[in-house]
Amino acid sequence: MSSLPSTPAKVPFYRNLTALKWALQILALLLVFALLFWLYSNYQENISKSNIQTDLRFLDNPANFTIPGNDFDQSQPVRDAFVQGFLNTIRVSFVGIILATILGTLVGIARLSKNFMVRTLGTVYVELIRNLPLLLLITFMNLGVVLQAFPRIEDAWVPFDLFVVSNRGIAIPWYLGPTGQLVLIIFAAIVIAFVVGKLRIRQADKSGTQDRAWVYGFVVFAIVLIGSWIIFGYSFETPFVEGRGTTGGLRIDPSLFALLASLVIYTSSHIAEIVRGSILAVNRGQGEAADAIALSGSQKMRLIILPQAFRIAMPAIGNQYLNLIKNTSLGATISYFELTQVAQITVGNGSPAVPAFTLTLLVYLGISLTTSLVVNYFNRRLALVER
Amino acid sequence: MKKRSLQIVAVASAAALFLAGCATADEETTATTTTDQGTTTETVVEAAVSVLDSVKEAGTVRCGTRDALPGFAVLNDAGEHVGFDSDFCRVIAAAVLGDASAVDMVDLETADRFTALQSGAIDVLVRNTTWTATRDGSEAATFLQPTFYDGQGMMVASNSGIDALSDMSGAIVCVAKGTTTEGNAALESSRLGLNWEIRSFDETDLILEAFLAGQCDGWSSDVSQLTGLRSAYPNGADELLILAEVFSKEPLAPAVLDGDTAWAQAVNWAVLATIQAEEFGITSANVDSIRSSTEDVGILRFLGAEVPGSDGAAVLDPSLSLPTDFAYQIVKQVGNYGEIFAKHLTPLGLDRGLNSLWNDGGILYAPPYR
Repeated sequence: MSSLPSTPAKVPFYRNLTALKWALQILALLLVFALLFWLYSNYQENISKSNIQTDLRFLDNPANFTIPGNDFDQSQPVRDAFVQGFLNTIRVSFVGIILATILGTLVGIARLSKNFMVRTLGTVYVELIRNLPLLLLITFMNLGVVLQAFPRIEDAWVPFDLFVVSNRGIAIPWYLGPTGQLVLIIFAAIVIAFVVGKLRIRQADKSGTQDRAWVYGFVVFAIVLIGSWIIFGYSFETPFVEGRGTTGGLRIDPSLFALLASLVIYTSSHIAEIVRGSILAVNRGQGEAADAIALSGSQKMRLIILPQAFRIAMPAIGNQYLNLIKNTSLGATISYFELTQVAQITVGNGSPAVPAFTLTLLVYLGISLTTSLVVNYFNRRLALVER
Repeated sequence: MKKRSLQIVAVASAAALFLAGCATADEETTATTTTDQGTTTETVVEAAVSVLDSVKEAGTVRCGTRDALPGFAVLNDAGEHVGFDSDFCRVIAAAVLGDASAVDMVDLETADRFTALQSGAIDVLVRNTTWTATRDGSEAATFLQPTFYDGQGMMVASNSGIDALSDMSGAIVCVAKGTTTEGNAALESSRLGLNWEIRSFDETDLILEAFLAGQCDGWSSDVSQLTGLRSAYPNGADELLILAEVFSKEPLAPAVLDGDTAWAQAVNWAVLATIQAEEFGITSANVDSIRSSTEDVGILRFLGAEVPGSDGAAVLDPSLSLPTDFAYQIVKQVGNYGEIFAKHLTPLGLDRGLNSLWNDGGILYAPPYR
């Protein structure tokens, strides 16, 4: 032992791997900050030379423009226009996420179908759509489909006297009655359905029968909704063509339709691939075990495969949600009044560009981070809890 | 805990990044110009240097313009900019550099035009831009002598049964995005209680598509633009009708960056010279013969020719930082106001109207050159 050299000489810091790694990281960070500082000081200098506003006072100026599908008045402040743009962005994002998830899941499952037709259709859909640029898809949907393939208002298509479809928008039947109360009713119906479902699961666990909690929940939801609908005197109003527009019902702006359709189609093609991959990633043994206890095909999918697949898919699908939200900004190219369009128009009407777009960036960042938080929450709920 | 702190760092760096993004946004517009980047950044950084000097040094005027407005600025088959606005870009180049062809035409989106001016990506903006108080005040732009006095109007399909604005209750009106047009239409709609749905589009081409497909009842813009668009309508100009009502004042004027008097004066007098030349009756055809034969002192001064005086012949130099023969170069190489108008706007069916000389019933009036 004593023949071995004593402790090796201390490694100098410039050959110490840990120190080197730290030094590189710090250097990289410094470079990034130096770049940011340089850009920011340039901005400050350029701004100070010209007499441009840099604060948010412009939000109080009158907007001087109107927003279609909205009673927003041109004398209201720019602030309100931004709020309307924000709401429109949220509207498209919310509906888009729900529809894209449903369509994407269905196509994803179809891709794994044993039926040749279904499987091929799924593959063609995914490979066609996800290989197209989204902007092109939106432009085509607007110029090619909505403007040209939809009928003019003079010969609008009125299926069952319920809808009015023309290139000036799609009008659908809509409820008549107070909105806030309806939201409360729907919320209450969901809560009651949820409670009934839980009770049903507890009962089924005791008796050892199938719970069918979703069926119970849905029936209860429908009963509560329809019951309150009648009790509180809500009714439907169907749209009809009047002059060169439609009256009654809810009119979906043509650009909203084009944007929503493109976003849903595009995002669903990506979600389909994630769903397909996640289903394949579920351990083979799980499916075989389901077969062994004689679950039907649909039970196997609903009860065994999909719950585990979604656990795998959740983070990736969350990314697609974020993409969809950010992609709503492309609506500005087809004149849908979401946040970006509002920002562009207000800048064109005299608001200072840098603060206006900075504000817009911050709002998008806020929406995206909030979505991330929600997705992460569900992800944590879904993740395997190891005890 | 670690994850949480990572998220905070992520948010902080995102915030820092977009601050940087704000600064780069300006620089990116610079990147769209075709001229060398060196001069661009320098004009931005050095406040004391007038654009006039950087233009002379670069040997070209970077003129913010567009490429798809018939009559004002369109690309011809050779890819050159042709039109009323394009010619005023050339007027400025002829005045400052003595060469009407020394222009870099920088095509801009309507919504980008002021950012391009503020960032120094262009030297002057001649792009159908209405002079308004807000733009003058908060866009860091100085507006100069208007080249065209316009007003906003409404164009409809001839067979629509619409004869006046009052027939357009609840109509869908299509306009270009980021212009005064939106505001004027919104104001007119609320003033007349017509409840228009106003849709804004990025490009005239897109409005045309929507209009052809019957998505729009009305197409609102400056009457001059509507006239140009009508003349180029694919189904024939007779399909369209421009209503008689005009509901706004739209003085279209060139604009330069605030705080650069020398450059502003140079551009201003270049435009004024075209008006003065028409008043004197000087055209590109007769400018040489007038210059050599006239004895009118006013004309000689204006053209930068020697004026005989008590102490020998002298050339008037009003110290505008322009060559003394700038007016001669303008008229010789481009033409006077009337010629430019006749060349580009008369074929569209536009009348001189307000844009006649002051002694001919219009409001074009150049200060004396002495």
